[in-house]
Amino acid sequence: MLNLLVPLVAGTLLGYLLRNRRRFDIGSVTFWVIITLIFSLGFSIGSSNELLSSLPRVGLNAVVILFLAVLFSVVFVKSARKVVKMT
Amino acid sequence: MIRYILITLAFGVVAGYLNNNFGNLVAGNFISDYLFNFSLMLLLFVMGLTFGMDKEALAKLRKTGLKILTVPFAVALGSILGGFIGGLILGVNVFASMAVSAGYGWYTLAGPLVGQLFGAEFGALGFTVNFLRELLTITTISLTVRIDKYAPIAFGGATTMDTTLPIIVRYCGSEMLITAFASGFTLSLIAPFTIATIATLR
Repeated sequence: MLNLLVPLVAGTLLGYLLRNRRRFDIGSVTFWVIITLIFSLGFSIGSSNELLSSLPRVGLNAVVILFLAVLFSVVFVKSARKVVKMT
Repeated sequence: MIRYILITLAFGVVAGYLNNNFGNLVAGNFISDYLFNFSLMLLLFVMGLTFGMDKEALAKLRKTGLKILTVPFAVALGSILGGFIGGLILGVNVFASMAVSAGYGWYTLAGPLVGQLFGAEFGALGFTVNFLRELLTITTISLTVRIDKYAPIAFGGATTMDTTLPIIVRYCGSEMLITAFASGFTLSLIAPFTIATIATLR
Protein backbone atom coordinates (compact mmCIF):
# COMPACT_ATOMS: atom_id res chain seq x y z
CA MET A 1 0.00 0.00 0.00
CA LEU A 2 2.75 2.42 1.01
CA ASN A 3 4.77 1.78 -2.13
CA LEU A 4 1.75 2.99 -4.13
CA LEU A 5 0.75 5.90 -1.92
CA VAL A 6 4.20 7.48 -1.74
CA PRO A 7 4.70 7.97 -5.52
CA LEU A 8 1.10 9.11 -5.93
CA VAL A 9 1.36 11.73 -3.21
CA ALA A 10 4.84 12.81 -4.35
CA GLY A 11 3.62 13.19 -7.94
CA THR A 12 0.53 15.11 -6.88
CA LEU A 13 2.55 17.52 -4.74
CA LEU A 14 5.11 18.09 -7.47
CA GLY A 15 2.35 18.57 -10.04
CA TYR A 16 0.64 21.05 -7.72
CA LEU A 17 3.88 23.02 -7.34
CA LEU A 18 4.43 23.01 -11.09
CA ARG A 19 0.81 23.80 -12.00
CA ASN A 20 1.56 27.29 -13.28
CA ARG A 21 4.65 26.31 -15.21
CA ARG A 22 4.76 25.49 -18.89
CA ARG A 23 2.63 22.43 -19.63
CA PHE A 24 4.78 19.55 -20.73
CA ASP A 25 3.29 16.57 -22.48
CA ILE A 26 3.45 13.43 -20.37
CA GLY A 27 0.88 11.58 -22.42
CA SER A 28 3.44 9.51 -24.29
CA VAL A 29 5.35 8.70 -21.08
CA THR A 30 2.11 7.45 -19.55
CA PHE A 31 1.42 5.37 -22.64
CA TRP A 32 4.72 3.50 -22.47
CA VAL A 33 4.51 2.99 -18.75
CA ILE A 34 1.01 1.51 -19.19
CA ILE A 35 2.31 -0.80 -21.92
CA THR A 36 5.17 -1.97 -19.65
CA LEU A 37 2.75 -2.52 -16.78
CA ILE A 38 0.26 -4.47 -18.88
CA PHE A 39 3.06 -6.59 -20.34
CA SER A 40 4.39 -7.54 -16.91
CA LEU A 41 0.83 -8.24 -15.75
CA GLY A 42 0.34 -10.57 -18.71
CA PHE A 43 3.73 -12.12 -18.04
CA SER A 44 2.85 -12.99 -14.47
CA ILE A 45 -0.50 -14.45 -15.60
CA GLY A 46 1.24 -16.56 -18.23
CA SER A 47 3.86 -17.69 -15.72
CA SER A 48 1.23 -19.10 -13.37
CA ASN A 49 0.35 -22.62 -14.49
CA GLU A 50 -1.96 -22.86 -11.49
CA LEU A 51 -4.06 -19.96 -12.74
CA LEU A 52 -4.10 -21.09 -16.36
CA SER A 53 -5.18 -24.62 -15.46
CA SER A 54 -7.98 -23.46 -13.16
CA LEU A 55 -9.57 -21.31 -15.88
CA PRO A 56 -11.40 -23.99 -17.92
CA ARG A 57 -12.31 -26.09 -14.87
CA VAL A 58 -14.37 -23.44 -13.11
CA GLY A 59 -15.13 -21.31 -16.17
CA LEU A 60 -18.94 -21.29 -16.30
CA ASN A 61 -19.47 -20.77 -12.57
CA ALA A 62 -16.91 -17.98 -12.65
CA VAL A 63 -18.63 -16.20 -15.54
CA VAL A 64 -22.04 -16.33 -13.81
CA ILE A 65 -20.73 -15.03 -10.47
CA LEU A 66 -18.59 -12.37 -12.14
CA PHE A 67 -21.44 -11.15 -14.32
CA LEU A 68 -23.78 -10.72 -11.35
CA ALA A 69 -21.08 -9.14 -9.17
CA VAL A 70 -20.23 -6.42 -11.69
CA LEU A 71 -23.89 -5.91 -12.61
CA PHE A 72 -24.91 -5.21 -9.01
CA SER A 73 -21.76 -3.15 -8.42
CA VAL A 74 -22.70 -0.80 -11.24
CA VAL A 75 -26.35 -0.63 -10.16
CA PHE A 76 -25.43 0.04 -6.52
CA VAL A 77 -22.87 2.70 -7.40
CA LYS A 78 -25.34 4.43 -9.67
CA SER A 79 -28.11 4.47 -7.06
CA ALA A 80 -25.78 5.38 -4.18
CA ARG A 81 -24.55 8.37 -6.15
CA LYS A 82 -28.14 9.54 -6.57
CA VAL A 83 -28.75 9.22 -2.83
CA VAL A 84 -25.68 11.27 -1.84
CA LYS A 85 -26.08 13.61 -4.85
CA MET A 86 -22.63 12.95 -6.26
CA THR A 87 -21.99 14.07 -9.82
CA MET B 1 -5.40 2.63 -26.92
CA ILE B 2 -7.37 -0.44 -25.89
CA ARG B 3 -6.09 -2.29 -28.96
CA TYR B 4 -2.48 -1.79 -27.86
CA ILE B 5 -3.34 -2.86 -24.34
CA LEU B 6 -4.98 -6.10 -25.47
CA ILE B 7 -2.14 -6.96 -27.84
CA THR B 8 0.42 -6.25 -25.12
CA LEU B 9 -1.54 -8.31 -22.59
CA ALA B 10 -1.76 -11.28 -24.96
CA PHE B 11 1.92 -10.93 -25.83
CA GLY B 12 2.81 -10.84 -22.12
CA VAL B 13 0.75 -13.95 -21.35
CA VAL B 14 2.40 -15.90 -24.18
CA ALA B 15 5.87 -14.68 -23.20
CA GLY B 16 5.29 -15.58 -19.55
CA TYR B 17 3.96 -19.01 -20.46
CA LEU B 18 6.84 -19.81 -22.81
CA ASN B 19 9.40 -18.52 -20.36
CA ASN B 20 7.93 -20.48 -17.50
CA ASN B 21 7.51 -23.77 -19.32
CA PHE B 22 10.34 -23.75 -21.82
CA GLY B 23 13.67 -22.61 -20.59
CA ASN B 24 13.39 -19.69 -18.17
CA LEU B 25 15.43 -17.30 -20.26
CA VAL B 26 14.76 -14.51 -17.80
CA ALA B 27 14.04 -14.96 -14.13
CA GLY B 28 10.22 -14.83 -14.06
CA ASN B 29 10.07 -12.72 -10.94
CA PHE B 30 12.26 -10.07 -12.55
CA ILE B 31 9.36 -9.16 -14.81
CA SER B 32 6.44 -10.24 -12.60
CA ASP B 33 7.75 -8.47 -9.53
CA TYR B 34 10.42 -5.88 -10.25
CA LEU B 35 9.32 -4.57 -13.64
CA PHE B 36 5.68 -4.71 -12.57
CA ASN B 37 6.24 -2.81 -9.33
CA PHE B 38 8.63 -0.34 -10.87
CA SER B 39 6.28 0.57 -13.71
CA LEU B 40 3.38 0.74 -11.28
CA MET B 41 5.17 3.19 -9.00
CA LEU B 42 6.35 5.26 -11.94
CA LEU B 43 2.84 5.32 -13.29
CA LEU B 44 1.30 6.46 -10.02
CA PHE B 45 3.90 9.21 -9.84
CA VAL B 46 3.16 10.40 -13.38
CA MET B 47 -0.57 10.26 -12.77
CA GLY B 48 -0.22 12.17 -9.53
CA LEU B 49 1.69 14.77 -11.52
CA THR B 50 -1.11 15.08 -14.06
CA PHE B 51 -3.69 15.28 -11.31
CA GLY B 52 -1.76 17.89 -9.30
CA MET B 53 -1.48 20.15 -12.34
CA ASP B 54 -5.17 19.82 -13.15
CA LYS B 55 -6.78 22.73 -11.30
CA GLU B 56 -10.36 21.69 -11.98
CA ALA B 57 -9.74 18.19 -10.66
CA LEU B 58 -8.65 19.46 -7.26
CA ALA B 59 -11.62 21.79 -7.02
CA LYS B 60 -13.98 18.95 -7.93
CA LEU B 61 -12.50 16.65 -5.33
CA ARG B 62 -12.78 19.33 -2.67
CA LYS B 63 -16.47 19.62 -3.45
CA THR B 64 -17.08 15.87 -3.31
CA GLY B 65 -15.02 15.24 -0.17
CA LEU B 66 -15.75 12.13 1.82
CA LYS B 67 -18.69 11.29 -0.42
CA ILE B 68 -16.27 9.40 -2.68
CA LEU B 69 -16.24 6.62 -0.08
CA THR B 70 -19.82 5.85 -1.12
CA VAL B 71 -18.40 4.27 -4.27
CA PRO B 72 -16.29 1.48 -2.71
CA PHE B 73 -19.01 0.52 -0.24
CA ALA B 74 -21.60 0.35 -3.02
CA VAL B 75 -19.18 -1.82 -5.02
CA ALA B 76 -18.63 -4.09 -2.00
CA LEU B 77 -22.35 -4.55 -1.35
CA GLY B 78 -23.11 -5.03 -5.04
CA SER B 79 -20.36 -7.61 -5.45
CA ILE B 80 -21.42 -9.62 -2.42
CA LEU B 81 -25.09 -9.55 -3.48
CA GLY B 82 -24.02 -10.69 -6.94
CA GLY B 83 -22.06 -13.54 -5.36
CA PHE B 84 -25.08 -14.51 -3.23
CA ILE B 85 -27.51 -14.61 -6.18
CA GLY B 86 -24.90 -16.37 -8.32
CA GLY B 87 -24.49 -19.03 -5.63
CA LEU B 88 -28.25 -19.58 -5.50
CA ILE B 89 -28.53 -19.89 -9.30
CA LEU B 90 -25.57 -22.27 -9.59
CA GLY B 91 -26.55 -24.30 -6.53
CA VAL B 92 -23.16 -23.94 -4.87
CA ASN B 93 -22.41 -22.90 -1.29
CA VAL B 94 -23.63 -19.29 -1.19
CA PHE B 95 -21.13 -18.31 1.48
CA ALA B 96 -18.31 -19.53 -0.73
CA SER B 97 -19.65 -17.68 -3.76
CA MET B 98 -20.09 -14.51 -1.70
CA ALA B 99 -16.51 -14.84 -0.42
CA VAL B 100 -15.33 -15.33 -3.99
CA SER B 101 -16.98 -12.12 -5.20
CA ALA B 102 -15.73 -10.27 -2.10
CA GLY B 103 -12.26 -10.44 -3.61
CA TYR B 104 -13.37 -7.42 -5.70
CA GLY B 105 -10.92 -8.36 -8.44
CA TRP B 106 -7.89 -8.95 -6.23
CA TYR B 107 -7.16 -12.46 -7.43
CA THR B 108 -3.81 -12.99 -5.74
CA LEU B 109 -5.62 -12.50 -2.44
CA ALA B 110 -9.00 -14.10 -3.17
CA GLY B 111 -7.56 -17.29 -4.69
CA PRO B 112 -5.40 -18.39 -1.75
CA LEU B 113 -7.65 -16.98 0.98
CA VAL B 114 -10.91 -18.49 -0.29
CA GLY B 115 -9.01 -21.71 -0.98
CA GLN B 116 -7.85 -21.85 2.60
CA LEU B 117 -11.29 -21.13 4.03
CA PHE B 118 -13.55 -23.08 1.64
CA GLY B 119 -11.27 -25.62 -0.02
CA ALA B 120 -9.20 -25.79 -3.19
CA GLU B 121 -12.13 -25.96 -5.61
CA PHE B 122 -13.48 -22.61 -4.41
CA GLY B 123 -9.96 -21.30 -4.30
CA ALA B 124 -9.69 -21.91 -8.02
CA LEU B 125 -13.08 -20.23 -8.46
CA GLY B 126 -11.92 -17.25 -6.41
CA PHE B 127 -8.81 -16.98 -8.51
CA THR B 128 -10.72 -17.17 -11.79
CA VAL B 129 -13.62 -14.84 -10.95
CA ASN B 130 -11.33 -12.11 -9.71
CA PHE B 131 -8.78 -12.53 -12.44
CA LEU B 132 -11.54 -12.30 -15.05
CA ARG B 133 -12.90 -9.23 -13.28
CA GLU B 134 -9.65 -7.43 -13.88
CA LEU B 135 -9.49 -8.63 -17.46
CA LEU B 136 -13.12 -7.65 -18.09
CA THR B 137 -12.53 -4.18 -16.70
CA ILE B 138 -9.63 -3.64 -19.11
CA THR B 139 -11.28 -5.16 -22.17
CA THR B 140 -14.73 -3.57 -21.86
CA ILE B 141 -13.78 -0.10 -20.64
CA SER B 142 -14.63 1.69 -23.88
CA LEU B 143 -18.17 0.27 -23.57
CA THR B 144 -18.69 0.54 -19.81
CA VAL B 145 -17.66 4.18 -19.70
CA ARG B 146 -20.67 4.90 -21.92
CA ILE B 147 -23.09 3.36 -19.39
CA ASP B 148 -21.86 5.62 -16.64
CA LYS B 149 -18.70 7.56 -15.82
CA TYR B 150 -18.37 5.48 -12.64
CA ALA B 151 -19.12 2.11 -14.24
CA PRO B 152 -15.45 1.27 -14.97
CA ILE B 153 -14.65 1.95 -11.31
CA ALA B 154 -17.49 -0.34 -10.25
CA PHE B 155 -16.21 -3.01 -12.63
CA GLY B 156 -12.63 -2.65 -11.49
CA GLY B 157 -13.28 -3.07 -7.77
CA ALA B 158 -10.01 -3.34 -5.86
CA THR B 159 -7.92 -3.19 -9.03
CA THR B 160 -8.68 0.51 -9.59
CA MET B 161 -5.83 1.50 -7.28
CA ASP B 162 -3.19 -0.10 -9.49
CA THR B 163 -3.54 -2.19 -12.65
CA THR B 164 -6.72 -0.70 -14.10
CA LEU B 165 -6.13 2.83 -12.78
CA PRO B 166 -4.23 4.20 -15.80
CA ILE B 167 -6.85 2.93 -18.21
CA ILE B 168 -9.68 4.35 -16.12
CA VAL B 169 -8.01 7.75 -16.00
CA ARG B 170 -7.45 7.57 -19.75
CA TYR B 171 -11.13 6.92 -20.43
CA CYS B 172 -12.91 8.70 -17.56
CA GLY B 173 -10.66 11.75 -17.19
CA SER B 174 -8.03 12.78 -14.68
CA GLU B 175 -10.64 14.13 -12.25
CA MET B 176 -11.58 10.49 -11.61
CA LEU B 177 -8.05 9.59 -10.46
CA ILE B 178 -8.63 10.07 -6.74
CA THR B 179 -12.11 8.53 -6.81
CA ALA B 180 -10.74 5.45 -8.57
CA PHE B 181 -7.68 5.21 -6.35
CA ALA B 182 -9.66 5.75 -3.13
CA SER B 183 -12.21 3.17 -4.22
CA GLY B 184 -9.60 0.56 -5.07
CA PHE B 185 -7.64 1.35 -1.92
CA THR B 186 -10.70 0.98 0.34
CA LEU B 187 -11.78 -2.23 -1.37
CA SER B 188 -8.27 -3.70 -1.09
CA LEU B 189 -8.33 -2.82 2.58
CA ILE B 190 -11.71 -4.43 3.30
CA ALA B 191 -11.38 -7.45 0.97
CA PRO B 192 -9.53 -9.72 3.45
CA PHE B 193 -11.92 -8.73 6.25
CA THR B 194 -15.10 -9.29 4.23
CA ILE B 195 -13.88 -12.66 2.97
CA ALA B 196 -12.96 -13.77 6.50
CA THR B 197 -16.23 -12.43 7.93
CA ILE B 198 -18.32 -14.24 5.33
CA ALA B 199 -16.43 -17.44 6.18
CA THR B 200 -17.32 -17.15 9.87
CA LEU B 201 -21.02 -16.67 9.05
CA ARG B 202 -21.53 -19.98 7.31
